[in-house]
Amino acid sequence: MNRKELIISLQKIVKPYVQDQEAFKNLSEKTDFVNDLKINSANLVDVILDLEDEFDIEIDNDSMEKMLSVKAAIDIIENKLADS
Amino acid sequence: MIGNDIIDLSLANTESNWQRRGFLEKQFTVNEQKLILVATNPFALVWRFWSMKEAAYKAYTQQNEIRFYAPKKFKCIIMSEKEGLVFFKDQIFYTISIVNQSYIFTTASLEKETKVYTKFVIPEVIDKAIKIKLADVTTLSVIEIKQKKSKNGAPYYYYKDMLLTKSCSISHHGNYGVFSLLFT
Repeated sequence: MNRKELIISLQKIVKPYVQDQEAFKNLSEKTDFVNDLKINSANLVDVILDLEDEFDIEIDNDSMEKMLSVKAAIDIIENKLADS
Repeated sequence: MIGNDIIDLSLANTESNWQRRGFLEKQFTVNEQKLILVATNPFALVWRFWSMKEAAYKAYTQQNEIRFYAPKKFKCIIMSEKEGLVFFKDQIFYTISIVNQSYIFTTASLEKETKVYTKFVIPEVIDKAIKIKLADVTTLSVIEIKQKKSKNGAPYYYYKDMLLTKSCSISHHGNYGVFSLLFT
């Protein structure tokens, strides 16, 4: 899967938690989950658990710590997929 | 520095499923998980811990210009119905929580005795309510009071170049809005 395809999968995953639909429409690698998409911080764990299920990967604590933007999430998924 | 967090419990009940596989393991320490699982009301304890972690994080990130997502590293201890402690790195945050049927509200502070001004308002008017309060305390004109945000999103209030808030934390969730202030 290339980065573009990863972003499309990620978009599907974050959709139910997004509270700013305008920012969601303009989603790019620069988009921040909390500041732009207004995802409730208590739902970040759901995004992470959904990503784990979708890609069959394990997101460890160190990776989780950085999971605040589309770019960070894509970087982490790419790395984990490359390792598996 | 102070941080606060409010949780609308009926919204938390629909927005999140704390019993989801991985939910507790990823965000709560082994000790916190044990306490949650034996609690009479596990749901309330999940959100009490969460609000303590979030309030401490908001106090911490006002002193340190970084953002991260590491709830498990904020270790909570419940001291009483209201009081708690959160340990993070070499810091201790003292927390006060209000827990009832409708919401959980926590403030976290680095000092044990802090004179925090807290007010509940409807979410839409938080910014306005803060400005009115600051104008009231300082006798400055409310229209000249402006909010600026730090790089990681912490709000500060200014009158021209003069900082009016030593620390300010805002939280809103569902039907509830609240702000906490430490005056300069």
